[in-house]
Amino acid sequence: MKIKGELVALVVVSLILGLILSIQFKTINQSVGEGVMPTQRAQELANELRKAQGEMESQLRHIQELESKIEQYEKGGIENDIYAENLYKDAMKYRMLAGYTDLVGEGIVLEINDPPVDIQFGEGFSIVDELDLILQVVSVLNAAEAEAISINDQRYTAFTEIVRAGNHIEINGVSTSSPIIIKAVGNPNTLESALSIKWGIVWQLRNYDYIVHLTQEKEVQIPRYRRVKDFIYATPVEETID
Amino acid sequence: MNRNNPKLMITVFSILVGILIASQMKLNVQLLTPVTVKSIMDTRKEIDAVRNEISELEKIVAQREAELTTLESINTGEVNIIDILKKDVMENRNRAGYTAMEGPGLEIIMYDNIGGGIGLNFNDYIIHDVDIMNIINDLRVAGAEAISINDQRIIASSEVKCGGPIIRVNGKSIGTPFVINAIGDPQLLMAAVNAPGTYGDNLTKIYGIGLQPYVKDKVEVAAYKGSFKFNYAKPMEEGE
Repeated sequence: MKIKGELVALVVVSLILGLILSIQFKTINQSVGEGVMPTQRAQELANELRKAQGEMESQLRHIQELESKIEQYEKGGIENDIYAENLYKDAMKYRMLAGYTDLVGEGIVLEINDPPVDIQFGEGFSIVDELDLILQVVSVLNAAEAEAISINDQRYTAFTEIVRAGNHIEINGVSTSSPIIIKAVGNPNTLESALSIKWGIVWQLRNYDYIVHLTQEKEVQIPRYRRVKDFIYATPVEETID
Repeated sequence: MNRNNPKLMITVFSILVGILIASQMKLNVQLLTPVTVKSIMDTRKEIDAVRNEISELEKIVAQREAELTTLESINTGEVNIIDILKKDVMENRNRAGYTAMEGPGLEIIMYDNIGGGIGLNFNDYIIHDVDIMNIINDLRVAGAEAISINDQRIIASSEVKCGGPIIRVNGKSIGTPFVINAIGDPQLLMAAVNAPGTYGDNLTKIYGIGLQPYVKDKVEVAAYKGSFKFNYAKPMEEGE
């Protein structure tokens, strides 16, 4: 009798163990998601990415070397020549205006994070769906006399387009995605108050549940425009130099 | 003895099985967790983006190398530093928007909804800053080389802001009708504001806002007339 009782207990325990195990496996499958792939492929891709990034860095360094050489030549060429020196200053000025110089100065940093995914309603929304808002931020910054603006380290120039490509955003032809980090150099107080004025753009963003951080910074770095822009259709109208 | 032994055995075996299963599961989970199809796709996209940027950088390298060779030939006396600098100034003046430009392109005339419509509120009748910004952005996507609104050149630091009945651009007030001039491939520009599903198309179809693009052989885009000064920004020091 006693042995029979023990047997029954054993069977029950084993059954429960089996159930728990199968539930565990099912949940793991669900939480990790369908389409699980072997790790090897991912590692290969990660390596490839690292290699490409390395290549990009070496290119950037190469460009820097070339530019410092060019600068040496230019500086050497303009020595003892006031006309050339003024011309050189002019060249630097317009290079800066056209966005071909890295700039640094006081300013603000605005970070826009996507709203947290709503568990109740599934798929959340993203800034990718509302590029208008980025355009508005840029316009507000310009109205507040920002001197240089970058979006995710892409300089905002007269040719900069912001366009949606699938789940990404392309800015200056380079694809990025959220979080969007907009940096601007200018009077930090003016810039901040222009953005965070009541019913202003930051208020609007927060109203849409975006997570927005706005900070003033002493040293905001704005990278240069990294595209070669040549005019194909437009030609300058004959000059009437002021 | 006879009675105690099986119990002991079962206990030992259960513990063993428990440890085995636990270690097995841990191992499996680690192997599989982070790698889904989506994350692989994301990495691949990132790689493509980096490759794109590299090809852009290669263009810059080629350009800089060409500049360097012309500079090197100064020594031989073929070229003059002043000519090189003058060319540089001209090019960047054009890019910065300080020269008037002309070329083939598009003239777009935009005006508020005159007729009115059903189910529209007063705010939907009129053109807002966002509308103009979107049109400009679409034109840039289509490769516009120079854009102006009512003779105000749009440069990097141009703002477009609603201010009551007018819109402010470059600190100047402009009112309807808005005339947007853009230089570029006329067909591409036309498609950017006119094709079904574009922002411009929606404006006309849904809100009844007037938007008439005209292809022109010669569009003139005015120079930037403001005085822009860098008070806060300084060029970054060499080497980062």
